[in-house]
Amino acid sequence: MTLDIRKAIHDIRNPLNTISVNAELGKLALSRKGDVDKALAAIEVILQECRTCADQLSQLSDTLQENAGE
Amino acid sequence: MAKILLVDDDNKFLDATVQLLEILGHQVVAVASVAEARDALKDQVFDHLILDLMLPDGSGLHVLDAMPKGYEQASKVTMITGHPSIKSIVRNLYGPNISYLIKPIDLAQLESLLDDSVTPDVSTSKHFGYLVGESSPMLKLYQMIERVCKTRANVLLMGESGVGKEVVASAIHHASQPSGAFVPANCGAFARDLISSELFGHEKGAFTGASHRKAGVFELADKGTLFLDEITEMPIDLQPNLLRVLETGQVTRLGATSAIDVQCRVVSATNRTEAMIAEQGCLREDLYFRLAVFPIHIPALRERIEDIPLLVEHFLADLNRQYQSAITITDKSTQRLMTYDWPGNVRELRHAIHRAFIMADPQTNELELPDDFSSPFSKAGNRPVESGIAVGKTIENVERELIETTLEHLGGDKKKAADMLGVSLKTLYNRLNGYADQSGENI
Repeated sequence: MTLDIRKAIHDIRNPLNTISVNAELGKLALSRKGDVDKALAAIEVILQECRTCADQLSQLSDTLQENAGE
Repeated sequence: MAKILLVDDDNKFLDATVQLLEILGHQVVAVASVAEARDALKDQVFDHLILDLMLPDGSGLHVLDAMPKGYEQASKVTMITGHPSIKSIVRNLYGPNISYLIKPIDLAQLESLLDDSVTPDVSTSKHFGYLVGESSPMLKLYQMIERVCKTRANVLLMGESGVGKEVVASAIHHASQPSGAFVPANCGAFARDLISSELFGHEKGAFTGASHRKAGVFELADKGTLFLDEITEMPIDLQPNLLRVLETGQVTRLGATSAIDVQCRVVSATNRTEAMIAEQGCLREDLYFRLAVFPIHIPALRERIEDIPLLVEHFLADLNRQYQSAITITDKSTQRLMTYDWPGNVRELRHAIHRAFIMADPQTNELELPDDFSSPFSKAGNRPVESGIAVGKTIENVERELIETTLEHLGGDKKKAADMLGVSLKTLYNRLNGYADQSGENI
């Protein structure tokens, strides 16, 4: 596996990390504070990060196909 | 509650984690680079450092290198890594005292990490994360903070020097949970010519020397809290500018053509009383009403003597944590601290404890108090209590008191004092020399 691909796989952890923390934040904001606005903001970040994650996966998939073609 | 330094360059992660940790009741300082982390470590002690391994200007390990000596034991360190294999590499480098968070991070990981970081030796609980004390004047203060934090009202803090006005301002900011920052500024410290630029910012080229565009403190505190200390030291002719910003909620940078909206709570502070503000005319009446929508008096330490043991315990715990020691204080020493009247208030108490901590007996590990607490200022600070005109006081004494108080107020500037008193500088010197001779005779 090339270095680029290793890095790409590693980088996908970053949006996952943001998703995880924001999900916890949304949960806590609702359960402890009843703060709907904060929870909605957190969910918005989660959706954005899901898209980032999907983009990164498509790129990775393209790179892998190119490599296989070579 | 733990004090945490969080270092990560991923803003979205940083934002959410800060909020998460704050909901869990911790106090968090979040920065995005090694350089900022180093700055934060310079003047604060953290219970816990949570570091991303990869940062734009280095790695989390560089932050560890920058830690002052002895810090390693005082703070717990956690590395955020993407891959468990990093663990073994870092462990070889820095020993087993480092914990790890593996991405993606969830609440269970964070909680298990911080559960034991709440150091058990710090038993003093802080109100709003900042204030120590359970006396009735303090309970009243907490109640007022609780009420005002739910509003956007401007607050004027009044209290003697050293009572902790900035700490109370931080507490108000913390309790209000605004999205913006807490920006402290000291109106007494600005050079007269630069006040407007400091407060409102300037555009590039607005005046000679304005080589960059600069945001003023109002702008920096947008959606947060602006703390204006020593507000009564602001020149009276510049106060209308401040008033205008407060009234319109808009700031115009010097040299700019358009105004910017700013929304912030202004917490101002002064060590003068309401009566003094009115009499001395150091604050315009219209500005006073804008700033003092909600005035709060912070009690002097002598009005809450019963809090001294708690404060001492708190300062001592901080010092012990900082220096990795276990210094204690005897009941007798605590009693002695409670008999002094602390004209310099909590600040003076804190310094006295620090001094006694340095002097602590290495055999018994007990604080060693000095024979005499009074500082050169405490004598001067005491004076207002007994000052004023009383029947039977000689004119000479009243005059001396007036001169000394004026000098003290002006920080010893004799020329200004002479101007203010309406006497020549020579006369002032003659008087002062006379007093020096008198005290010489007394010895």
